[in-house]
Amino acid sequence: MDSQKKHYLITALTLGIITAASAAIIGLTNMVTRDQIARNEENKINAGIVEIFGENAKKSGDQHNLENYKYVQYYYDVTNGTEQIGYAFRTSGSNMYGKISLMVGFYYATEAFKALSIVTNEQTYATTLVENYINPVNEGTRVVEDVSCGATYGARLVRDMIDECYTAMVEVIANG
Amino acid sequence: MDKIKREKGYTKANFLKGLFVENPLFVSILGTCPALATTKTVEAAFGMGLLFTIVLLCSNVLVSLLRKLIPEEIRTPSYIVIIATFVTMVKMFTNAFLPELYSTLGVFISLIVVNCIVLGRAEAYASKNNVFDSFIDALGMGVGYTLAIILMAIFREFLGTGAFSIGTVFTFIPAAKLQIIPKGYEISLFQTPVGAFIVFALILAVIAFIKNRKAELKFNLDKQEKIRKAQEAKLKAQEAANGGNK
Repeated sequence: MDSQKKHYLITALTLGIITAASAAIIGLTNMVTRDQIARNEENKINAGIVEIFGENAKKSGDQHNLENYKYVQYYYDVTNGTEQIGYAFRTSGSNMYGKISLMVGFYYATEAFKALSIVTNEQTYATTLVENYINPVNEGTRVVEDVSCGATYGARLVRDMIDECYTAMVEVIANG
Repeated sequence: MDKIKREKGYTKANFLKGLFVENPLFVSILGTCPALATTKTVEAAFGMGLLFTIVLLCSNVLVSLLRKLIPEEIRTPSYIVIIATFVTMVKMFTNAFLPELYSTLGVFISLIVVNCIVLGRAEAYASKNNVFDSFIDALGMGVGYTLAIILMAIFREFLGTGAFSIGTVFTFIPAAKLQIIPKGYEISLFQTPVGAFIVFALILAVIAFIKNRKAELKFNLDKQEKIRKAQEAKLKAQEAANGGNK
């Protein structure tokens, strides 16, 4: 093997080894942290349900997985301890500004939108989106369709996620 | 002995340069994006500085360790892979053990990968120096950057909210809030990106003023010294001429 070929081989091998070692380290870190991250997410979902439906609200029964949706992943029935008061949908979406995951709540009786709670918000304009769109929507001072808020692309994504949750809820009810 | 003395002095200077003379934010104007985005509160700025310093330390040390093994052609891609690995690890650990910090900093944790300071120090310093010096360089730069963003956050939080609060990002600390400016009198502009730019510009202006003032003083002192020396030389020449005449 001439020296040039040897040099190319060493170069490729070095980069390959560095990349493989990096992948192994990331995999190991994932193994160490994934249970804790799952616990944190579970706590966030429970806190989100309380934030949407009030202090006594809690999820009832198992998580109902939903497929064939772009954003909606699963939902829970929500009770106040004695009777069902709503549905809480877990939805996750992303656009060029980053990812956002939400819990979206609907009333059981009227099937109307109640409020939403943030699980993770990695949007570049995260604070603007929360302050100018999500908080006013939750407070009832802004309608979901009004997305011009300084983080319009993020707000459009959230609006689409809420719309899809509503569609999913209608289908869930229709299918009994 | 001389070598040891020189090295001790070098280590101190190597650390201090990141704090003042080569401060990455206020002198090199690098890493401005997270500096503007994560300085709404002192706690968030401290968190960002801490994560940034950890990534910088780890990447500088590893790059320095591997500097003789990585061929020239793949230096930059290798450094990016190394930095991205540490950022991913830091992101996962923060998500697991400091979830409030993770949600506060959001996308800016991932963006440490493309922070010019990290790649810059790997390329400019760690790839040419030993592990210890690279560690000290990273520590100095990391602490310098952290202090710089904390300084910005102090102004922004104080002027923008009228208060300082702790325990909201690092939730293991009991939550406390010190309201200094009465509610309604705070200038919320300082909590917006515009406020961040204003604070950043004002700090840079003050630094430029101090630097110019120092340079001006040095220039005047040098000028006075030159005049004094010229006068002395003239006097000596006169004395010599008078002595010759006698």
